[in-house]
Amino acid sequence: MGKSSKDKRDLYYRKAKELGYRARSAFKLLQLNEEFHFLDDLERVVDLCAAPGSWSQVLSRKMFDEAEGDVQGKKIVAVDLQPMSPIDNVTTFQADITHPKTLSRILELFGNEKADFVCSDGAPDVTGLHDLDEYVQQQLIMSALQLTTCVLKPHGNFVAKIFRGRDIDMLYSQLGYLFKSVVCAKPRSSRGTSLEAFIVCLDYQPPANWSPKLDNNVSVEEFFHDCFVGINKLSLGDDSQLPEWHESVRTVAPFISCGGLDSFDSDATY
Amino acid sequence: MKDTFHVGPSLAVKFVAGDQLLCAVGPFLHIYNVTKNRLIHKVRIFKRNKVHGIAVSEDKLAIYGGKSVSLVSWEQLTGANDVSNLEHLSPEWIVSTEFDVTGQNVFLLTCYNMVLVVDFASGDVLQRNSLPNERSILYSGSIKVLDRDHVLVNAGTVMGGIIVWDLHTGTQLWNLLGHEGSIFYVTVSDNGKYVASCSDDRSIRLWDTFTGKELSLAWGHTARIWNLKFFDNDTKLISVSEDCTCRIWSVEHTAEGIELIAADTFEVHLTKNVWGVDVNEEKMIAATSGNDGRIKLIDLKQTTRMADEMEQFDIKAIEIHCNVRFAAGEIIKGFHCFEFGIVALTSGGHVLRYTFADKSWVLLFTDQRFLSYSITNGVTVASHNVVIFSNNNCDLLLVKFTDRGKIVDQGKALKVTGLAKTTNVMCTTGDKAEVIYVTVESPNPRDNFVILAIDSSTLEVIDRFNYGKPDSFVSSCVTVLDHYILVGSRFSTVAIFDLFNCAKNGVYRIDDLNIGDTTTSIEHVETKQCRHLFSVTNRDGYYSFLAIKFDNGISHEVIHSNKTVKGFLERAFYNDEGDYVTYGFKSRLFYMYNESKCYEIMHHMCGGAHRQWGLYPVGVKEYILVYIKASQLHVLRIHKPRVPEFLTAGLHGREIRDLSICPRARATNENEYLFVTGSEDTSIKLNTVDKLTGEVTTFWTERRHISGLQRTRFISDDLLISCSALEELFLWRVDDTFARGPYIHMLQSLPVATLNPDLRIMDFDVKFTASGSFILATVYSDSSIKMWHYDNESNNFNVCVETRYKTCCILNTRLIQFRDHLFLLITATDGHAVIYRVEQDNDDALPNGLAPVVSQRIHQSGVKAVDVKVTESTLTLYTGGDDNGVCVSVFQSVPAPAAGGFPGFELSRSEFAHSIASATVTSCQLFDKGSKLLTTSIDQIVRVWDASDDELPLKLIESQYTTIADTGCCDVVQGDSIVLIGGVGLSTWNM
Ligand SMILES: C[S@@+](CC[C@H](N)C(=O)[O-])C[C@H]1O[C@@H](n2cnc3c(N)ncnc32)[C@H](O)[C@@H]1O
Repeated sequence: MGKSSKDKRDLYYRKAKELGYRARSAFKLLQLNEEFHFLDDLERVVDLCAAPGSWSQVLSRKMFDEAEGDVQGKKIVAVDLQPMSPIDNVTTFQADITHPKTLSRILELFGNEKADFVCSDGAPDVTGLHDLDEYVQQQLIMSALQLTTCVLKPHGNFVAKIFRGRDIDMLYSQLGYLFKSVVCAKPRSSRGTSLEAFIVCLDYQPPANWSPKLDNNVSVEEFFHDCFVGINKLSLGDDSQLPEWHESVRTVAPFISCGGLDSFDSDATY
Repeated sequence: MKDTFHVGPSLAVKFVAGDQLLCAVGPFLHIYNVTKNRLIHKVRIFKRNKVHGIAVSEDKLAIYGGKSVSLVSWEQLTGANDVSNLEHLSPEWIVSTEFDVTGQNVFLLTCYNMVLVVDFASGDVLQRNSLPNERSILYSGSIKVLDRDHVLVNAGTVMGGIIVWDLHTGTQLWNLLGHEGSIFYVTVSDNGKYVASCSDDRSIRLWDTFTGKELSLAWGHTARIWNLKFFDNDTKLISVSEDCTCRIWSVEHTAEGIELIAADTFEVHLTKNVWGVDVNEEKMIAATSGNDGRIKLIDLKQTTRMADEMEQFDIKAIEIHCNVRFAAGEIIKGFHCFEFGIVALTSGGHVLRYTFADKSWVLLFTDQRFLSYSITNGVTVASHNVVIFSNNNCDLLLVKFTDRGKIVDQGKALKVTGLAKTTNVMCTTGDKAEVIYVTVESPNPRDNFVILAIDSSTLEVIDRFNYGKPDSFVSSCVTVLDHYILVGSRFSTVAIFDLFNCAKNGVYRIDDLNIGDTTTSIEHVETKQCRHLFSVTNRDGYYSFLAIKFDNGISHEVIHSNKTVKGFLERAFYNDEGDYVTYGFKSRLFYMYNESKCYEIMHHMCGGAHRQWGLYPVGVKEYILVYIKASQLHVLRIHKPRVPEFLTAGLHGREIRDLSICPRARATNENEYLFVTGSEDTSIKLNTVDKLTGEVTTFWTERRHISGLQRTRFISDDLLISCSALEELFLWRVDDTFARGPYIHMLQSLPVATLNPDLRIMDFDVKFTASGSFILATVYSDSSIKMWHYDNESNNFNVCVETRYKTCCILNTRLIQFRDHLFLLITATDGHAVIYRVEQDNDDALPNGLAPVVSQRIHQSGVKAVDVKVTESTLTLYTGGDDNGVCVSVFQSVPAPAAGGFPGFELSRSEFAHSIASATVTSCQLFDKGSKLLTTSIDQIVRVWDASDDELPLKLIESQYTTIADTGCCDVVQGDSIVLIGGVGLSTWNM
């Protein structure tokens, strides 16, 4: 998009500065929350792909600064490939979330306790190869989801950034298998010209006959193999043959635009 | 619906025996015979996925892309047009495939660092190998089969590490650290000694496979690098990158150890990304494929293949050769190259000749008149090779040579009388071989500009023409057509001298053709219906085409103009294939560039444009570049290409943001339509599509915009408008009357509001008022709406209405004539459609205001696309949104509230079809007289809806997957059922 200094003039950018957020992304989480209220009464949360940390700031403010009762036992863990400068009440560390070891470390930090909210605003390096970029983005979400299945308590919520491309409906159907409700939401602070949107997955209800097991020698695809058997014949499983090509199950998640029409429009330039 | 033509990213190329090249083209493989430049076979490999790579072992192939893999024999591949029934799936994304030594088994490396060993014949998975604790995601990887027992797996991680492991023992050999960011490619040399890798950090690193040490770190690419390959017995490495170049590196043993040294750079694809590369080592040809869909071939020995390419002579060597003594400091002042050789003149007045046949220099004669100041020109007409020497004292010497370089008689000396001095002498010949025209210019503005007509066989002056010298005129190039001599000058001027009229009005002058540098060439292209077409180049990089009429006094029209990529432009011409070729200098390089197809033909490091040089055509498609560098005379033979320069030309390197088809068929071929594409890469291309084959051909790439295109649309049979960010909006005219092809010229740009325009013009629409004049509506990213009047007499835009919707970005606009009134529709990111009445004092007056009539929310968020159907009493909007839905809204006209008032609209019915797509709906287009609606969406499904009656909801007639990613625009040839779909690439469909 042009060579203009658009970001500098962006109203969300200015507002983020004003309110002390490290990135304009903060408003995406806030506007999603306006619609879905998933930030109320949180005890323990994980913020994946968190740098520079504006989502963690939002979480910290909601859970600690604005909290009324006891903050004892509350916990925020934030992870990113990039280093992050400290944020009050947030435990940060630097790691690759697609690496199985990272997930074990997060689990250790939580001890035996479960989290009630996991979010991921991750975006990998974009190569320009549309199908690869989309796959890697979905794998990032699947890594986040892998952790989520290990750490999220039943009825907990999960929010992640997606890019609505060719195969996004395959992801919807997988998420629908784990959560009661899956919605694709676009906050007004996310540019309409970008494919970015967020999946809001509410009410975690894993299949009864599946229990997640972290194993350093298992890839994300393998991890979910037994979980998605019902909808995903893709997996190799124990078969000794590569399966023939077949269309995968696809469902379209309902779309919700959030943030209210009176909020700023991120596509506008002045 | 059936897709007939596809151009889009090509991710891989692979040479196979017998001069064949396999090219991955979306889900297809195209097989070319490279030497014959022929497409032999097209075959669909996968149903939806793109082909990412190909492994070959004798007559077996393992083709992969995404999670798909196909194990096929050569026979299966070439025996059918579709082998997608053989498509199988891997559990994880495949990053590489390779055959084992026997060719019986295939290794599939997945992005989670697992290798599946698959039996080729049965498809059985024999083994699954992986490295303990290393299952994080990979961007790249490769498998190297050294022998039966040694198979290396090279895994490129996202954290900068390259994990090299042994497939059979399942042990890690190295985790090579040094790169920053994701590893985008890693490969091992055939001898197993080296690992080469590249990453996000733009460097290439060479590692020792046996010690794990980094041997060399090489920089050069200006963006990320996607692919590498060792060749020439592991002594060279070829790399391709996001920066559109392909580079050659040599692996050299130096005092420092083993180093990667940059050897050559080829500009091969359009912005941006070269994905695939392979080398045919026997022929030393490389093939590359890119995001632009181009398959490019590179002769890796272009300037060394025949070993006769380069000759160099210093003045001492020539002296010895000719057996003469030159004065101290004597240098070559000028030269001209003929088929037989070179004639040169030194600062000592020595006239020398070099003949190619016997590689010998001889002194022909010495002429004291041409001692210090001299100019050497030459022409070849019929069998006459004539050199013209001149000095600043009005002396000319004409010498004629035979085909073999022998001087014919003594030469002709003449003095041009009546001039104080001469600073420039140039010559040209027209269609009439018997005459050479020589222009003689004096620095004195009061002196005449003289043109001599000289008989090419006798060298006698037949005629002399004297003209008053035009003001601030310094001649720089010349050509002739009939009795008109066209002379280019500095400061972008061309003067036309009528030989039948030496009076003052016999000189016609064209000023300000371009920005203002020297006119470097003028060439006659063709003549059609008394319009003579000339190509004119300018040193500052601009070129234009002038249509000149000579009858009823001279008149001209610029029908094409453009700027070349960069550097100095010295000349341009059409080659045998009908492509426009430019040449000139880019910093220290001499280049030749195919402007029609947008690729560099050749380059040569010659030091720059300031030196003495000349390019001379010899034989068929051969050229000789002669230049002087470091006081040496260099002679470079540019041979006819040994291999085709490309197999398919490709289109834009980045997303096509909009496209528009000319409403009428081509003037020169009724089976073809002109269309324009506007891309994120900031260029506009003028193309044709053949309605029978779907084939697309590009003629011109206009580089006027400096920001990515937003919209481009034909507004009449020959006018089109394009707009983009930075408030750029250009009005263009297309001229399709000449045989060579269509031309496109920017007529006017819209005035910008501020010095530093920062707004995006999101969309526009026009309503013609009189012939050629129109009202234009523009909508902006800051919610403003403007209306303009374009007057075609004065070629001016004048603003008449400026207003604002709200604060959100407006995405679309349409001007709608409803009965006697003009309405303006806008749609915006807030999900609303708003209809305004355009206020005018009377029907013919210019707009002076906009009055909102109705505002209706029709989508949850941005209304991305709109088309409108107007009936007797309704306006129906068909819209597509960011909310994945299509909405049909019927607005009923309501009568004017009072006499003299205006009618309005209210929403009478609407139907929102939500979730019709799984991602943003990006375009809506009514066709077949409004009875059908075509939609495209990011989920890559093209849908056709029945819109014949306004019965809601819309009924889906047909839907089909398109291989064009980021599907964003479409257009339909009304009545001819050809559809163009644009995105990352372009496809032609037939309905
Ligand atoms: C858009 S930013 C997140 C912004 C953040 N939510 C905020 O509000 O400040 C995306 C982040 O994803 C991170 N990321 C991408 N791939 C990752 C991976 N594999 N593991 C961890 N972080 C990753 C990037 O480093 C980047 O900082």
